[in-house]
Amino acid sequence: MKSYQYLIDYFENSPPIIQVVWVVCCVFLVSIVSLVLYLKFLRSKLRKDEKIVAKFQKEYESDLISYLYAGNEEEAISAEQQIIIDKLKICAADEFKRRIVVSTLLRLRNEISGEMAEAIQKLYFQSGLITYAFKKFKSNKWYVVAKGIRELTQLQVKEAHDKVMIFVNHPKKEIRKEVQLYLVTLFHFEGLKFLDLLETPLSEWDQIQLLEVLQRFDEQEIPDINPWLKSTNDSVVAFTLKLAKIYNQFEAKDTLLELLAHPQKKIRVEAIQVLCHLQVFEAKDVLKNKFGELSLEEQIAFFKLLENIFETGDEPFLLAHVNHENFEIKVSALKVLKILNFEKFKSLKENSAMPEYVKIVEFIEHN
Amino acid sequence: MNTSTVQIIILIIHILFFIYASFAIASYVVLAIISAVETKEYMKKNSFVNYKEILSSTISPSISIIAPAYNESLNIIENVRSLLSSHYVNYDVIIVNDGSKDDSLEKLIVAYDLVKVDFLINQQIPTKPIRAGVFKSTNPAFEKLTVVDKENGGKADALNMGLNISNHQYVACIDVDCLLLENALQKMIKPFLEVTDKTVIATGGVIRIANSCIIKDGKLLDVNFPKKWIEKAQILEYLRAFLLGRMAWSRLNGLLVISGAFGLFNKKIAIEVGGYDTNTVGEDMEIIVRMRRYMEEKKEKYKVAYIPDPLCWTEAPDNYKIFISQRNRWTRGTIETLRKHRKIAFNKNYKSLGMLSYPYWLFFERLAPVIEVIGIIYFVILMALNEVRWDYAFAFIILAYLFTVLFSIVAIFSEELTFHQYKKKGTGFKLILISALEPFVLHPFILYAAIRGNMDYYFNKKKKWGEMTRKGMAKA
Repeated sequence: MKSYQYLIDYFENSPPIIQVVWVVCCVFLVSIVSLVLYLKFLRSKLRKDEKIVAKFQKEYESDLISYLYAGNEEEAISAEQQIIIDKLKICAADEFKRRIVVSTLLRLRNEISGEMAEAIQKLYFQSGLITYAFKKFKSNKWYVVAKGIRELTQLQVKEAHDKVMIFVNHPKKEIRKEVQLYLVTLFHFEGLKFLDLLETPLSEWDQIQLLEVLQRFDEQEIPDINPWLKSTNDSVVAFTLKLAKIYNQFEAKDTLLELLAHPQKKIRVEAIQVLCHLQVFEAKDVLKNKFGELSLEEQIAFFKLLENIFETGDEPFLLAHVNHENFEIKVSALKVLKILNFEKFKSLKENSAMPEYVKIVEFIEHN
Repeated sequence: MNTSTVQIIILIIHILFFIYASFAIASYVVLAIISAVETKEYMKKNSFVNYKEILSSTISPSISIIAPAYNESLNIIENVRSLLSSHYVNYDVIIVNDGSKDDSLEKLIVAYDLVKVDFLINQQIPTKPIRAGVFKSTNPAFEKLTVVDKENGGKADALNMGLNISNHQYVACIDVDCLLLENALQKMIKPFLEVTDKTVIATGGVIRIANSCIIKDGKLLDVNFPKKWIEKAQILEYLRAFLLGRMAWSRLNGLLVISGAFGLFNKKIAIEVGGYDTNTVGEDMEIIVRMRRYMEEKKEKYKVAYIPDPLCWTEAPDNYKIFISQRNRWTRGTIETLRKHRKIAFNKNYKSLGMLSYPYWLFFERLAPVIEVIGIIYFVILMALNEVRWDYAFAFIILAYLFTVLFSIVAIFSEELTFHQYKKKGTGFKLILISALEPFVLHPFILYAAIRGNMDYYFNKKKKWGEMTRKGMAKA
């Protein structure tokens, strides 16, 4: 009691700044103790949650498997299936359990195919889970909306098309990405029509994802890509260039040639690379005639093109560039020259006094 | 000087110390808040990312992993195996044997069926010459591997050789003894591909401490909390630095350093700025500052990104001698970089780089240990003169200590709510305990190393890297 009073007196008689410091110390101390206790609780909760999730997952997985094998030909829904549907409806009302049910459904959906997969999708509708997915669309939180769209994509709910399309130009890129993946995963090349409406940039990351999804599907009729190559959205043009390359869209040759005059350097370089891949000879003359006006990146891309589609008539042009200051252009020019005129190529080595240059020529000669 | 003048001077000194400490604490609090916001957002966004698509894509951008090696014979085979086990499709591994005096090269030749090949090097950055040559494997399983044997020129020179050799768009510069998780490259490449309104020039990754962790075939099997105090304290220190510090600077686009142990760079820009500086021991910080400066001077929008996921695990010093040597080098690196780029300081032409990042590093990284030591000396003098106001001193020391502990606990919280790597029962208590003890078991050595670093910088210019003896990570 005495020491307590001493502390009170000490505090009251201290200068204001010391009083403030001690108050802050107390706040820190209380915060530390609270955080330590909460940390203890949190770590236990995380461990406990892991166990609970695993338990529910096991339970729902067993229910879902029972549902799949409980069907019969006489009834649309057997009595046993109805019990499981009712149980899932109750679980779906609880957010924590709903999350586990949906993740279990998705896992199972990815592991099976054919009629079984269709049955899972049917169950998604019957248990009312789809209603909750649509409810997410009304959320103000972007990640809730995105989760809703992702769920519909994974469960292949094509019926949500119109509702999903509303978000095609959403300001949050994560939502836009989910929309794009929904459309392409479910409607394949037909789903790419969103490119007509897209007003925002399509990042390289998104482009790669979309192309990867598209490559999963065989025998798809590729739509006319010309309008997208003429899009005012540069990222749509860049994406379409990748499509043209992967799916060898030689039909779009004329539009691709027009892109050599595109205002964006990146697009022009990619167009050269696609034309090189498609071995469009016309591109060579266009680029050769305005070689001096091209940026260094375009010049390098052009020489890569030349490595694929060279002709005897290119020799003077190559000779003009075998001493180019850019390493890549010099190497490309030498490589092609070696094939076109080996004697001329060899003479370069003999006539050069620069050991570094001789080294490059010798390397190309032997490789 | 009369008594009142002395008292005024003393009062001014006290006020200056007080202002400095207040600013330091305020900056830590602000950074922690920004970091919490950024981490929360990152975790949410990351939950929507499907890394599998980018993994298998043949059109994903190409990456070269460049790993310099100097006398790493003990672990080199295992380490290279770890680098070769990435799940990313479009990548290769360039090991630059930087004039090792041991049998690193011979071991690599035997283990990976290497043969000498003709290789045309585009010498864009000057380096020490090739010694034994460039080697590739005859075994298709190791086709992604290239080993370059060159004369010793230091880590920066070896990295520059890697930049010259690489023919990919991006380069991941890493320490050869680091353990990269299999999904590290696709996570690190993401910022380069998803940012559409500016150029991402580099991405930094988190470094985690692998001491006591179980590793097998280059893979991390089990995360354990080490036993030695020095190792435990470094874990806490890294959590604070990476989860609270760098995350916030990433949000502010003010990162000045990407750990030399693991960073991914836009190769074109790295070469345009001239590669790594071979005249500094802080080449990892220096190249980032130079790349940023270059972009500012070109008036191009850019970003240095940061990925908080635990992707790279490394062996931390387990004794004070090596620890002090390492921190001494870090201090000298910081001084060298800040001095070299002093033009940036408080220069509004460099926007936040000159007005925020540089001043922060100058005052709270570069000068902090110096000011702390001056404070300690001043305190000792006051004690000798019997001039210490113990009520003030005691209150402020307790305040500083509690703030340090609280800040560490916030870092532990951040870890628990995000990546939760230390799952084992009892580790939570150990982390709390070390947050209470770290000011005694680690901080004095950090301070000592920083002061030694300052002295070496000014009075022992010949001192370069110092030693780092590898023991090797725990194997299953």
